[in-house]
Amino acid sequence: MVPLPLALPFAELEVGQQFYWQLGRLQLHGQVFLSSWVVIGALLALVVIGTRRMERDPRGVQNLLEFLWTYIRDLAREQIGEKAYRDWLPFIGTLFLFIFVCNWGGALIPWKIIELPSGELGAPTADINTTVAMALLVSLSYFYAGLSRKGLRYFEYYVEPTPIMLPFKIIEDFTKPLSLSFRLFGNILADELVVGVLAFLVPVIVPLPAMFLGLFTSAIQALIFATLAANYIGEAVHEEHH
Amino acid sequence: MSFTPFFTALFAHHGGFGLNLNPLDTNLINLVIVIGVLVWFLRGFLGGILERRRQAILADLSDAEQRLQSATAALTQAQQDLAAARQKAEQIRQDGQARAHAVRVDSQQRTIEEMARLKEDATADLKAEASRVTALLRREAARQAIEQALASLPAKLDETAQARLIDQSIQNLGNA
Repeated sequence: MVPLPLALPFAELEVGQQFYWQLGRLQLHGQVFLSSWVVIGALLALVVIGTRRMERDPRGVQNLLEFLWTYIRDLAREQIGEKAYRDWLPFIGTLFLFIFVCNWGGALIPWKIIELPSGELGAPTADINTTVAMALLVSLSYFYAGLSRKGLRYFEYYVEPTPIMLPFKIIEDFTKPLSLSFRLFGNILADELVVGVLAFLVPVIVPLPAMFLGLFTSAIQALIFATLAANYIGEAVHEEHH
Repeated sequence: MSFTPFFTALFAHHGGFGLNLNPLDTNLINLVIVIGVLVWFLRGFLGGILERRRQAILADLSDAEQRLQSATAALTQAQQDLAAARQKAEQIRQDGQARAHAVRVDSQQRTIEEMARLKEDATADLKAEASRVTALLRREAARQAIEQALASLPAKLDETAQARLIDQSIQNLGNA
């Protein structure tokens, strides 16, 4: 077999390559940090610009931010309940906006223009570490929410309605962060891979449907993550009416 | 904890950073199309939602302002009414006080007059009774005197005494 004499101008496809930073004995995925900083910076800039000159007549960015705030508040209120949702609105809102902008940023910003020594930039949520970190934060949050609101009576929740539920409820505490993190990570990574593979095979037009589908699913994933987080917190602070 | 290794790590790879502007390699064409379609779609969809929201807020605001104005007007009107009513109430109270005073004075006056009249009546009654009793006593005394006189008269009366009495009476009549 004679090797092909010409190198075709097709994209490479890398999976599992990371751009490592060494911090003490930790190995950090640098590309995730870089794209996260971009996302955080974009969100902060949007919020600062939108709230710098607040007017009675909501225009432009202020209107958009108010609309988003109303949307997130309705979501949190519906899931957590009238009494406790105010405490958790910032957390839920941050989760939703961060995940949403991560997902869409990963899908819309042409990250591949910037070449890294290894690995490539993309949505921070396509890295399991990001989603696990957020899912664990959600776990901590609902434990804290339940314990701070009900004290040790929170653990009554494990034996309601019958003590038979105890093992299932304990298993749930492990499956909740697991499913949260894997759902988000899997969806975003799969979307990136599908687009990457299609773009690798046919560079133009053909990946477009997958990209639009990816935009749709990644928006849905942000909504699902925030809704489930709020739902778990709501479950933890829910008062049984006897 | 020091961040130095962090940044040395960041810059240690500096040689590897670079720009890749190959449109096929970086999926740039597709991204431009996707972003274009997305902007077009969001401008219609999200822009419509935001504009409707803004209009609703503005309508709410102007509605609230109008209600504030009408409420302010109503408040002013009510305050004026209240002041007028207060004035009227004060007027009525003063009138009432004056009337009560007049009634009291009048009734006092009438009582005094009544008492005076009663006293006068009593005095008159007393005088009438006294004069009646006096007259009675006088008549009784006269009757007794006549009786005594009639009783003692037959013993004392004789011709000479009768003649002297008649002369005396005639003289009295002549002197009168």
